[in-house]
Amino acid sequence: MRLFEYQAKEIFSDAGISVPRSELVRATSTSATVTEAASETGRVIPVDAEALAAEVGTAAGGLLEQCSRVVIKSQLLMGGRGKAGLIKPATSTDEAESLAREFASGPHKVRTMLVEQAVDIDRELYLSISANPESAELVILASVEGGVEIEQLAVERPDAISRIAVDINRGLQQYQARALAYELGLQQGAVKQFAGILNRLFLVFMDNDAELAEINPLFLTVSGELLAGDGKLMIDDNSLFRQPAFERTREYFDSDAEFEAAIEGIPYLQFSGDISLMCAGAGLTTTVFDLVHYEGGTIANYLEFGGPNYRNAGRAMELCLKNNSKVILIVTFGTIARADVMAEGVVAAINELKPDRPIVTCIRGTNEEQATETLKTAGLEPLFDTEEAVRRAVEIAGGDDL
Amino acid sequence: MSIFCDNSTQIIVQGITGKEGSFWTKHMVEMGAKVVAGVTPGKEGQEVAGVPVYHSVYRAVREHTADAAILFVPPRFTMDAVYEALDSGLERIVTIADGIPLHEQLKIRSAARASGAQVVGGNTSGVISPGRSMLGIFPYWIERVYKPGSLGVMTRSGSLTNEVTSMAVREGFGVSTLIGVGGDPVPGSRFAEFLPAFQADPETEAVLIIGELGGTMEEEVAQAMQAGIYTKPLVAFVGGQTAPEGKKMGHAGAIVTGGTGSVADKLAALETAGARVADRPSKVGALLKEALGR
Repeated sequence: MRLFEYQAKEIFSDAGISVPRSELVRATSTSATVTEAASETGRVIPVDAEALAAEVGTAAGGLLEQCSRVVIKSQLLMGGRGKAGLIKPATSTDEAESLAREFASGPHKVRTMLVEQAVDIDRELYLSISANPESAELVILASVEGGVEIEQLAVERPDAISRIAVDINRGLQQYQARALAYELGLQQGAVKQFAGILNRLFLVFMDNDAELAEINPLFLTVSGELLAGDGKLMIDDNSLFRQPAFERTREYFDSDAEFEAAIEGIPYLQFSGDISLMCAGAGLTTTVFDLVHYEGGTIANYLEFGGPNYRNAGRAMELCLKNNSKVILIVTFGTIARADVMAEGVVAAINELKPDRPIVTCIRGTNEEQATETLKTAGLEPLFDTEEAVRRAVEIAGGDDL
Repeated sequence: MSIFCDNSTQIIVQGITGKEGSFWTKHMVEMGAKVVAGVTPGKEGQEVAGVPVYHSVYRAVREHTADAAILFVPPRFTMDAVYEALDSGLERIVTIADGIPLHEQLKIRSAARASGAQVVGGNTSGVISPGRSMLGIFPYWIERVYKPGSLGVMTRSGSLTNEVTSMAVREGFGVSTLIGVGGDPVPGSRFAEFLPAFQADPETEAVLIIGELGGTMEEEVAQAMQAGIYTKPLVAFVGGQTAPEGKKMGHAGAIVTGGTGSVADKLAALETAGARVADRPSKVGALLKEALGR
């Protein structure tokens, strides 16, 4: 689960990592019924761009009493917000308001903005903690050439990145934090500050069951202070049961269907093509996704109903029917997710939901003879070859265009 | 022969009295695996499929010689159960559950490496040497997948294993040992770590790798081939070639970020090292035949 910048910075700040002064502005609705409905379903309420702009203006006005420039930062989970024009500076209340209006009514319909004091920067550093699956250690990456994507820096200037490995059982040692600061060539005063920030970031990583904790850029100001200019914190989904502070709400997802599926534990991704995938197993679903593309088809949605969801064909089909897909393609090859149970589930779902589009079935695995009977009895044509099923679905999807 | 487990492997089942544990213990015993004892705290004295149950692994190994363990333990208790098996000297451990917290995945692999043991999983169907032994949850009765033979198989996915392996079996091949390393971001063991054993196994003629986007496990296989650690034929299928960058598609371990872990990179590395790569499951059989000169 990826957190928003403002959440990461709140956690950093609570841990003692300095961040620029800022104020958070979130869209609210004036209509009580909309708010109530939204809180019940977790749905996103429509944004009132004018009200939001006014609040951003007020926040900017307050901050501008103590500095000459603020930055309006769209709170979205996508990377590259700066390049996409979703983070912009303002020097007056009016300018801040008009930026907020632009963000709120633009294609991203930004509903949460961080209004932050701009600081005078000497350098931009990079600092992150993540896991190295091969060595089973934590890896700390740091650079004095921050502010760009680390992947890009790794390709263009690999020597500019310093790294240390940390034993997860032993934890970060003080000598390691100091050694890294010296590797970066920091001045004496900054060494101690940097080591302090790294220590605190390490605690944030451990305490929050993070898979990634990143500060990029880490500002070194003209006055020699280190401040987190941005914050990226990704929490391990498998650990959410012991991290009650992080609740997945609608704002973390791109669509209603993705949100509903995630809450119910159904892996789901939204696309805009013709074929709804309703498959079992992560590897097989991904492969069917590839095969559809090889055959010239397009995907409406990726959905897995294997594993713990194999008795839940009805809900899976309901999610697929929310798309404007032209066909639903069902491919399974299950073990514990028995073929007969999945076939019965699919037939029951068809009877209940009366889908308005064709369904291609390729259901194999444990008890597949019974599954085949069930599908035939219901008037479906059971296929046994994945590639044949994919070709059939692509044909059906293409045929509608003729 | 086979690797990791055969008729002589003596197995302890941790979490044997649970629903999954008892169900799959029956199947392991039925297919010929030598299950010597089971463990569930508080259930000593019971039996599951004729297998005696003990309170702890310590008490089980005091009564029985054992060298391997399979864990049917909920994900949040898996690390504790792995430590229990390691501390009793068991050197091959398979952990089935999906959902082990990431930091505990790291600690499990770290502990396994420190003690020289092999932990397979989590989030896996386990290991099977068809016709001989199984530490896992495989439908060994489906003959078009789990037919004994000379192919070593390693995979990151359950459902895709059935799909791809069935394509090899259709062309007349069978399996010596199949290892599911699991779909977690930090699996206990990685593909390349089993290559020396497959190389040494006289019954394994070739290895089939069923990979996925993300991570570096396929690249490590290519490195092992380049280094001459593994010199038999190798065929690979890697899913997720058309997956969009940055989306978590497939297993949690499968995510492409900024140019690392892409399927194109993996296929290029494997081909350079002399492997044959299939762009779809149906081509696996023909490539294996070509590699083995049949």
